[in-house]
Amino acid sequence: MTVVLARVDDRLIHGQVTVGWCQQLRPDRLLLANNAIAADPWQSRVYASSVPPRTEVSILSIAEAVALLKDPEVGREKVLLLTGSLPEMSDLIHLGAPIARVNLGGIHVSPGKRELLPFIYLDDLDVRALCRMLAAGVSIFAQQVPGGREFSLGPREIRDMGGAC
Amino acid sequence: MRGLVATHGGIGAELVEVVTMIMGPAEGLAGLSNHGKSASDLTVEIASWLRGDADPSASGMEPAIIFIDDYGGSCANAAQLACRPGDPVAVVSGVNLAMLLGFVTWREELDLDELVQRLIERGRTAITRLGPVS
Repeated sequence: MTVVLARVDDRLIHGQVTVGWCQQLRPDRLLLANNAIAADPWQSRVYASSVPPRTEVSILSIAEAVALLKDPEVGREKVLLLTGSLPEMSDLIHLGAPIARVNLGGIHVSPGKRELLPFIYLDDLDVRALCRMLAAGVSIFAQQVPGGREFSLGPREIRDMGGAC
Repeated sequence: MRGLVATHGGIGAELVEVVTMIMGPAEGLAGLSNHGKSASDLTVEIASWLRGDADPSASGMEPAIIFIDDYGGSCANAAQLACRPGDPVAVVSGVNLAMLLGFVTWREELDLDELVQRLIERGRTAITRLGPVS
């Protein structure tokens, strides 16, 4: 399994993903890793219904997603991996999911979050997750849609957000 | 019958504004943008509108239609997730001006299912090629 895009987006499966990135990257499977949605058949059905035809969709818990991504028996499928938050993406990587690069696609404003970019707001838990991913050798970039501006995020940008890594 | 036009950007609010320019004030018809909102915030906001939290003209959970611009997007997901089983709510995608004018015209005459059927037909009829081919 090759992860063609590992994206953090709190809108989960929506137009920027299904139209923007899926048309550009043509993944065979869209994998949403989210414990609450995976445990709820109704929410799973709503999100699965937004996926373009010819793209398989899996909505799995974090642990199940890691198992699938690490499974050597699963052929050379191209996967677009989604989480709704940075700590969840960091957990996937920490548990051994083969991810070298993480895309911050949309983390919207909510109480306690500070603006990094107009489409990325971070709180202390997010900054800690970013530090943990950088320490694991993962590169981080923020970009909403293909062809949009790409912002590379390293220790300096994260220090500016109040992180120490 | 109440209506919510939940869309990308400012499409919903603008459509509602144009409806009121043509038909006069439309009580219980509102626009809502997904701009800058997470899936969960958008779902909470739509659920709050369905309960009539901020609408003095609403009395609890009235029958309602949530119009969205396209399915497979954040508004479509949030609109479906904001409804609970048994709620008198329909979610209709592909909103256009003709559909909303029909909504304001017929919303007190028809029940929810009949109205939805009529509005989908009205919206589709409005999509047509005009004039002779030159």
